[in-house]
Amino acid sequence: MSIRKKSPWILHYNCGSCNGCDIEILACTGPKYDVERFGIINKGNPKQADILVVTGPVTKRTRARLLRLYMQMPEPKVVVAVGACACTGGVFRHMYNVENGVDRYIPVDVYVPGCAARPENILKGIALALEIWEKKTKDTIEIPTVIKKEYEKIVAKMLMHGQVVDRRKIIYDLVSKYIQRKLETPKCD
Amino acid sequence: MAWILKTIAFLSPIIGGFIYGFERIVRARMQNRQGPPLLQPFYDFVKLLQKRPIQVHSFHSMMGIAFFFATWFALSAFLCGPNILVGLFLHILAMAFFIIGGFSVLSPYSVMGSLREIVHLMAVEPLLILLAVGLFLVTGTWSVEEMFKYPGIPLVYLPLVFIAFVLAIPAILKKSPFDISEAHQEIIGGPEVDYSGFFYEAIYTAKWIEYVFVFAIVFLFTGANWWLGLALSLIVFIFVNALDNSTCRTTFHQMIKFAWFFLLPLAALNIFVLALWRYVL
Ligand code: SF4
Repeated sequence: MSIRKKSPWILHYNCGSCNGCDIEILACTGPKYDVERFGIINKGNPKQADILVVTGPVTKRTRARLLRLYMQMPEPKVVVAVGACACTGGVFRHMYNVENGVDRYIPVDVYVPGCAARPENILKGIALALEIWEKKTKDTIEIPTVIKKEYEKIVAKMLMHGQVVDRRKIIYDLVSKYIQRKLETPKCD
Repeated sequence: MAWILKTIAFLSPIIGGFIYGFERIVRARMQNRQGPPLLQPFYDFVKLLQKRPIQVHSFHSMMGIAFFFATWFALSAFLCGPNILVGLFLHILAMAFFIIGGFSVLSPYSVMGSLREIVHLMAVEPLLILLAVGLFLVTGTWSVEEMFKYPGIPLVYLPLVFIAFVLAIPAILKKSPFDISEAHQEIIGGPEVDYSGFFYEAIYTAKWIEYVFVFAIVFLFTGANWWLGLALSLIVFIFVNALDNSTCRTTFHQMIKFAWFFLLPLAALNIFVLALWRYVL
């Protein structure tokens, strides 16, 4: 479906970045790079967005929100990690308050390097994300990375007992449990 | 004549989609950008069909679809019905579906947006009724079809009503000085915040129909002179977009004050003078 590719809507989330990458993302929507000519709009609403653009290393305060936004986006969806921080932790790597990159929490499809990532690179990253997005359908099941091990264990157990597996429900339950746990104890653990 | 109106009413989602696509280009050009292609709204339409809809609850989704059909029905009643007032009141009913849907979910953005949507109705609808009265005074009929056959130009008799209506268009179409109910950076779209996929599609398309509704009213001001109406709506279109690009959002107090203490008296004065001239002098 090439028509779908012509209207990706973006959700931009800042997981505690230094704002350098966010400004570059905003520069993409300005007159010089003008992403709207490809039909890209910056939608603030996860329920109507297709591409999640994340910047920043995931801080302990933002990780539950990041998961929540990711779960609220309807499939098919892709994630683009913009900036060195979002890819690996960048200059903040191994600090006491960060989680060294987005992919520890949610599956990332495209990594855009650079500190700060240049607008050209971000556009290229989104173009690559669109190709991945085209292959996904509305029945794709995406498993957040944090709960992947638990999820596999539960599914294996259920299959062993011959039960019907409702994958979406298992993921939903695990994530909401995780979010509740993290929101209840917002201090560093 | 009647068949043209019927075709417009039937094809209004498509016509409105083209108007919206054109508007996005015009807005981008005003900001020194290139802008999306003309068919962009339809690409969005196809894309939204391929998304998995996440329903909050079934009543909420049903209200979204009811909003679309009610808006379409209101436009058809407006264009082909016997009375212009029926169309206007059905339009209020359509908004009521949207508002009830917005109130039925827990999201604070949605509830807040619905409250503001009611403020919009309060600000704009009295003006639309006055507009209908003014058109009746000039053309002597309540039927839109007959109004389109009126040989003169109602705009000459109703200049202040027209100005008031043009200044109220941003509130009807949710554009910049008065976009308080769907403030995109503030309450993320207001009542539409919890719709997704197919159900958001209904809301998105209903918005296009509103464009046809507004520009049909602009056409009414020129009677049977359709070319003049086309020129007039083009001017209004450019003006509304320029206003959208160059102003910032007001608060709802300011909007209500502007609508009730400036626009309504303006329209009322025009109608008062016209009625005096028609019936007393
Ligand atoms: S990658 Fe560099 S510019 Fe971007 S958020 Fe991290 S520190 Fe800031």
